[in-house]
Amino acid sequence: MLVEQDLIEKARGGDSSAFNQVVLAYRRRILGTISRLIGRPEDVEDVAQEVFVRLYYSFEQLRTAEVFEPWLYRLTVNAAYDYLRRSKRRNESRMADLSEQQVMLADSQAGSRREDDDRQKGQVREFMDSLLRHVSEEDRLLLTLKEVEGLSLKELERIYNINENALKVRLFRARQRVLKAHKTALASGTL
Amino acid sequence: MNSDEQIDASDERSLDELFVRYRQACPDVDPDPNFMPVLWQKIEARHSFWFTFVRFGRGALTASAAVCLLLVVLNLASTPQVMASYTDAILAETSAEQTYYTEAIHPNTVPDGIALPPQK
Repeated sequence: MLVEQDLIEKARGGDSSAFNQVVLAYRRRILGTISRLIGRPEDVEDVAQEVFVRLYYSFEQLRTAEVFEPWLYRLTVNAAYDYLRRSKRRNESRMADLSEQQVMLADSQAGSRREDDDRQKGQVREFMDSLLRHVSEEDRLLLTLKEVEGLSLKELERIYNINENALKVRLFRARQRVLKAHKTALASGTL
Repeated sequence: MNSDEQIDASDERSLDELFVRYRQACPDVDPDPNFMPVLWQKIEARHSFWFTFVRFGRGALTASAAVCLLLVVLNLASTPQVMASYTDAILAETSAEQTYYTEAIHPNTVPDGIALPPQK
């Protein structure tokens, strides 16, 4: 926990100053997680603020301070999922206009103006995003939380409220799909 | 271990490495200096909306209760008619005019064995 449980209790009781401190403690982590979940830097702050607005209005529903972090992650995942669902049509039209290769080429051309390191990182992000498009939005979020955020199965179990075996099956299937796309990309020499 | 399994295992490792590289390639996001003020504005805005919604809801509830009360009062005011007995209702329906009309339709209908008076 990044803050004391007392502070969580105070914030839960309606103390605005305590709530402010909780947000200050967690905002960087939440911003990072959302950035990796939605992959659109320009909208990260908006989604993070939505998470904290939801937190403010649902704090009373938190049973105990001990489950605060999984609960905050759940709010984050829900907000990210809502965002992705809302912007799905926009993404589809964007991707309909440009093929994956064209997107990568455009990114590569834009990257040529930056430092090499930044360009490579941009390519890795684009490539990973293209692989993650082979799974549903829900599975993409789950896989990102597990493989990129490094959350354990126990933590995911508490966030999603489903048992470990069901999670394992879902993760396995999602990973297999990404793996298949990865193999295809490697065979075609995309990266 | 056959060749397919070797390929799968190497692909798994390759994917794991890619996840690690992806994690490193994702930049840390520094919050904007206006993050907190904007957040509190959003909280206030939602609070205002919620407050208006609750006030409107309460108003609508009060109006509904008043209409219900009015209907109950009107219903009670008309109780005497409702409470009339079945025979009273039949009596009220069977007026003298209706009886006369019924007889006029059947002028020759008389009980058996009784002679009609001669027509003038």
